[in-house]
Amino acid sequence: MQLILEHVTHTYQPGSPFQSRAIEDVNLEVHEGEFLALIGHTGSGKSTLAQHFNGLLKPTSGRVLLDGRDIHEKGYDKKEVRRNIGLVFQYPEHQLFDETVEKDVGFGPRNLGLSPEEVKERVQEALLKVGMRYEDVAAKSPFELSGGQMRRVALAGVIAMRPKVLVLDEPIAGLDPLGREELMGMIKQLHLDGTTVVMVSHSMDDVARYATRAAVMDHGKLVMTGTPEEIFMQQEKLVKMGLDVPQVCRLGAMLRENGIPFPENIYREEQALEALRSLLGKEDKDAQ
Amino acid sequence: MLNNITLGQYYPANSTVHRMDPRMKIVLLVGFIVAVFMAKTLWAFIPVVAFVFAAARLSSLPPMLLIKGLKPLRIILILTFVMNLFFLQGETVLLELGFITIKKEPLLTAILYAVRLMLLVMGSSILTLTTAPVTLTDGLERLLSPLRVIKFPAHEMAMMMTIALRFIPTLLEEADKIMKAQTARGADFESGNLLKRAKAMIPLLVPLFVSAFRRAGDLAMAMEARCYHGGEGRTRLHVLKMHRRDYLALVITCALIALVAVI
Repeated sequence: MQLILEHVTHTYQPGSPFQSRAIEDVNLEVHEGEFLALIGHTGSGKSTLAQHFNGLLKPTSGRVLLDGRDIHEKGYDKKEVRRNIGLVFQYPEHQLFDETVEKDVGFGPRNLGLSPEEVKERVQEALLKVGMRYEDVAAKSPFELSGGQMRRVALAGVIAMRPKVLVLDEPIAGLDPLGREELMGMIKQLHLDGTTVVMVSHSMDDVARYATRAAVMDHGKLVMTGTPEEIFMQQEKLVKMGLDVPQVCRLGAMLRENGIPFPENIYREEQALEALRSLLGKEDKDAQ
Repeated sequence: MLNNITLGQYYPANSTVHRMDPRMKIVLLVGFIVAVFMAKTLWAFIPVVAFVFAAARLSSLPPMLLIKGLKPLRIILILTFVMNLFFLQGETVLLELGFITIKKEPLLTAILYAVRLMLLVMGSSILTLTTAPVTLTDGLERLLSPLRVIKFPAHEMAMMMTIALRFIPTLLEEADKIMKAQTARGADFESGNLLKRAKAMIPLLVPLFVSAFRRAGDLAMAMEARCYHGGEGRTRLHVLKMHRRDYLALVITCALIALVAVI
């Protein structure tokens, strides 16, 4: 599965007084099996970009290539695109509609024209992946669940399509810390199971912890791509764009300012712990 | 997907018509409608059409915008035109083609009705395009406030309209988002017969209603938290004031009605 965005530009309501250019000349390839984080300030065009991956928005100019074929080409079956590339919107629980959880999660598979048996199998599988038991929730109305559970059911609704690439637009927005932790754990597991994940996120700590690659958007343009390490090394540049760095990076910068030789390329909590241990160990030896 | 609705969409600009008092604009629209219905001959329509063109010019709206506003009307236009043309009685035969006979009188009536409909929509579009919704309901409230004597809830009605108008773009945006989210799950809103399409709307409408109710609850709470208790004793931030251009426009509209009445 090869997904490439080529010179993608998108202008909302072109030709009207409300015309606004949301993204401009974005070139981005999504590698198979990676966990790509899309970072950017509010209004930088991340969500607009996310909606180009599965053809919900058509680029004003530029192309979106799936396995080398332009998805907006005449005769390309859009359903085929959506079967392969799942998109979870911000606050996906707002799209729940059916009488029971089972029917709602099964909406996508039913649209794919699968048999009732296969739909059921997929619903069970998808619910399991979001940490819910089919027996417990299948017959319930999605509207009687808690906010966090609704979010997970909505996520299951997309997972049930078995997408090869899963695009998530701020999946943890509005959840409590425990809920975030759990949901991120599930997304990580999906990634480990072989799904390519593209995640729009505001939380730099989550980017540091989970992403294998990150892309930074600023004012509709793609300004940086690279491993989280490469990105977070450029703290000043990020701060200038109104973005943050993981807490660990901020801690490191403070330590260095105070003359403590904390390495610069550290952005994860485990790495920081390791580095601090070795620093303290050295000090102990020095003291002896 | 849902951004081609012109009626009720404010077009921001700084023109003479934009700056006019909303109360006067509403009164003038009523006057204009009276003129449109008083016009009975093609000749009488000339000043009315000229009036619309002048208003459109003075409002610095792109002409295409007004023409696009007529698009949703096309089915009604064609239907009434055809009905009038073939079912009205007439004497002078203009054209005979097999079983189709076109007579002069019905043809004139059909044209009159079509022009009348288009003028009505264009006139009211000029009002809604040049007046921000909130200003519009503000004007309406002031116009209707004398009716409070007979216990007509002018303020409450205006507030309801303001809220409804305020939420149209929000709900459209929401509908667009839900539609996209369901499309991402393979939903199809565009193909199939009428029944199938109506059924396909359920995944859109249920979440939309849920969210509308949630928003309504939140809004009521927020209004109460800011001590809203109806229109009694409320002062206003923007006090409406008539200017010379308003009176001038009134005179011109009166002249239009008089002129149409004479012709």
